[in-house]
Amino acid sequence: MRSERVEEYLEAISKRQRTETPVSTSSLAADLGVSLPAVTEMMQRLAAEGLIEYEPNKGATLTAEGSRVAITTIRRHRLWERFLTDILGLKWDKVHEEACRLEHATSPETEDRLASLMSETDTCPHGHPIPDKDGNIPDQGVGLLSEFEPGQKVRIAAIGRETPDLLRKVEKWGLKPGVVVSIESKDSKGSMGLKLDDREVVLKKDSAAALLAKPVGPDEETVKEEEVPISRLQAGESGVVRSYAGGRGMLGRCLSMGFTPGSPVRVIENYGRGPILVSVCNSEVAVGREIAGRIMVTRKRG
Amino acid sequence: MAARSGEKAPVVALAGLPNVGKSTVFNLLTGLSQHVGNWPGKTIEQKTGVMQYDGLTMQLVDLPGTYSLTANSVEEQIARDYLVKERPDLVVAVLNAASMERSLYLVAELIELAPRLVIALNMTDVARQEGTKVNVGALEAALNIPVVPMVASRNQGVKDLVKVIGVEYSQPTVGRIVKHIESGSETEGDISHIAQLLADEDTTPYPRHWAATKLLEGDQQINRLLRERVSEGRWADIDSILKDKEATAIAIAGLRFDWVRRVLSTVQEKRPLGQISLTERLDRAATHPILGLMILLLVMGLAFAVIYGIGVPAQQFLEVSVVERVQGLVFNQMTFLPDWLQGLLGDGILGGAGLVFTFAPILLLFFLAWGFLEDVGYTARVAFVTDRYMHAIGLHGKSSLPLLLGFGCNVPAVMGTRIIESRRARLLTVLLAPLIPCTGRMAVIAVIAGAVFGGWAILVTVGIIAFSLVVLAILGLVMNRFVLRGKRAALMMELPLYHTPNPRTIGLGAWQRTAAFIRRAGTVILIVSIVVWLLSYFPGEGIEESFLADIGRWLEPLGKLMGLDWEMMVALLTSFVAKENTIATLGVLLGQEGSGLTEVLREMLTPAAGIAFLVAQVLFIPCVATAACIRQETGSWRWMATSIGLQLVLSLSLAILVFQIGRLIET
Repeated sequence: MRSERVEEYLEAISKRQRTETPVSTSSLAADLGVSLPAVTEMMQRLAAEGLIEYEPNKGATLTAEGSRVAITTIRRHRLWERFLTDILGLKWDKVHEEACRLEHATSPETEDRLASLMSETDTCPHGHPIPDKDGNIPDQGVGLLSEFEPGQKVRIAAIGRETPDLLRKVEKWGLKPGVVVSIESKDSKGSMGLKLDDREVVLKKDSAAALLAKPVGPDEETVKEEEVPISRLQAGESGVVRSYAGGRGMLGRCLSMGFTPGSPVRVIENYGRGPILVSVCNSEVAVGREIAGRIMVTRKRG
Repeated sequence: MAARSGEKAPVVALAGLPNVGKSTVFNLLTGLSQHVGNWPGKTIEQKTGVMQYDGLTMQLVDLPGTYSLTANSVEEQIARDYLVKERPDLVVAVLNAASMERSLYLVAELIELAPRLVIALNMTDVARQEGTKVNVGALEAALNIPVVPMVASRNQGVKDLVKVIGVEYSQPTVGRIVKHIESGSETEGDISHIAQLLADEDTTPYPRHWAATKLLEGDQQINRLLRERVSEGRWADIDSILKDKEATAIAIAGLRFDWVRRVLSTVQEKRPLGQISLTERLDRAATHPILGLMILLLVMGLAFAVIYGIGVPAQQFLEVSVVERVQGLVFNQMTFLPDWLQGLLGDGILGGAGLVFTFAPILLLFFLAWGFLEDVGYTARVAFVTDRYMHAIGLHGKSSLPLLLGFGCNVPAVMGTRIIESRRARLLTVLLAPLIPCTGRMAVIAVIAGAVFGGWAILVTVGIIAFSLVVLAILGLVMNRFVLRGKRAALMMELPLYHTPNPRTIGLGAWQRTAAFIRRAGTVILIVSIVVWLLSYFPGEGIEESFLADIGRWLEPLGKLMGLDWEMMVALLTSFVAKENTIATLGVLLGQEGSGLTEVLREMLTPAAGIAFLVAQVLFIPCVATAACIRQETGSWRWMATSIGLQLVLSLSLAILVFQIGRLIET
């Protein structure tokens, strides 16, 4: 049984190898948060076990065997993350550390069961691909978000660094993997203006560099859901508030009642004339037909 | 601030959304030691009271129920101005545990303005019924604000709340960081930009950052205030930022709800989706266009059956056994008094104000029934069902609530128009409210119809009420079309969950409204009763030769057009004091010792004249109290005069028309 430390190191080298070969000891020390001498000592041990090729002053490269171990660890890590978020309901900023502990205590059999349970998804909650059983990682064709240019439309693929702090911010921005954004602007310092749905987000350069994205082809463009006034929803239909058409008039009242973009709503009664009865924010609100005609929503299917 | 506790009682303000049981909490905290007044310069009711904790006396102020602190309505403006200008020592936010999202939205706004905050988490029982559970400890930790779970309607948690208020006042929770909701978002730039532009300007009493946020949220009051203070060039800069910033107003509200949902994700457990709540199932019926209307009619019919079933005998009892007995005492036993004093006491005061007072039980019952429907949560459904019909006269559903209240008494009806946000809709409702036949007029109709039409009385009564409602609808249509034109108001109101009513809240509310009526009977109505009596007594050759008779005879030509004698005209005239006075006056003028009013009336009025009189009476100018209230609520003598003039013309012309047509049919 290989020690946890060994697996951690191999995992770290594997991830680094995508951008740096051979991987320097100083990069590893930074990634793992350990001292340089400790890394050097471990390098020698791993080289002796035939898991890496190591040249002092230059760095380390995984051998075939080392690579297999590393990818298995990564596979188990990402499967566990999926399990923790989707089945146990942990928040996505908490699962990385949990998975770090679980991945080392996982038998091949547990790994298989996890994989069949999670067969519907092929990425971890943060968007990174889960390697298949043979160790193949599908190439996503992604790049750093900060390297795209204004006018391009991209889909957020993954979050580069899985620190809780960054993940919480990403959630706040609404930039979880899968979201399609169009790049509106980019200034000299690298700050980017992004547009998603009907909102705009401005990201500093280092934040944009922490996200991985992939261009969206014209054919792949998401089918834009039709926005309709909430008064067009039938009794029992649900939807999500998207925008508010026309004037400040009743805007303040609508907002404080909970009709903000992103709010889920459900129409309880709609008789075609007179006010409609809407469930929003967990309570019933009577909305006069004139205002109901201005609150734009998209229908929720199913 | 704590140091000044010796000199001045600390002030605790109660804030919260409508329908969260805030007044119940207020009543529990203050007991009966409360004072009802108005907010300075406004016609919104202000309740203050006193509460005690551990030897500390605290002044309690009930802020109007609001959804936010942006000035979308007068209530919201009052609440936030009070927080900013009066700086209460502590704010208690009353939250509805069954509707946490909207409640916490207000908390997000309060955090910025309140120095010390305590959360009263009310209606935890309703939340449990609905399948929601709020983790109090987690909520406290997430907000760093003390939280007290309560069921105010069942008196649970009050002692804890008092204690927590006391403790929080003497040892405030430390380390509450006011984190601006927008930090880290794209809105931050706009807000700090405006705050910078305001840096050298006087935004007092509002905090600068807060004022900047409200400008972006489209707050008209802050906008006007700053426009006056800020130099023109600077304002142009600010205006250019504000232009096309509806998206920002939406974004700010969105940020608050994001914050709310983040907090809730850790403190609230919800029932599995797909379960339909009881309230929703009931509303399927109560808000149905046809079924809902039938339920409304049934509820109103039932309410009036109870009110008149119990109220009329009670009124009769007071009239016969109290007023008339005392009158008898005055005339028969107190013969040592001079004649004029006997007359003043017996006919003037007892026959006038005393008789009006006997209607108090009917009103009390009416307000009890109304309070019950309100507390159960039904009145909001009335607004929903009637909305489409009110649209025809340019109003929305909320206007039907004060109008229904008018069946009890027009005064609370006019005051009740406060719930209508738009000034135009409110004015129109104020002008229409006095056309609703109140209990006073119902009493007159009952007496006259009973005397003149005998077996047909009920039919005539119902007909007259229906007639006045038709007139109301036509007047509404005309006013909406030609006089008060403008943008139509739209309905947007929360329908609270149905819940078990709280007898204390209902009782207290009904008592306060009835007490206001009794005070009026004891003041304005008393004075006018005395004046009417004086006019009928002097110069002294009996009532036929009195000043009152002179006035009546002067009006007789007009009366003849309606088939009415001068006595009837005087009776109509005195209904200006109080509608019930018509009977009192007729009693004074026609009631000869021994023979009842009924026989005299039957001989005096032909059916055509009887109906003409009822038409005139039911549409006649609003009573003194209502007129005074119209002046107060509209803040304008002009609207009061409009209302009086309008109804004067309407009542007399329609009465003449009815009599002339009636005479043609009779002959």
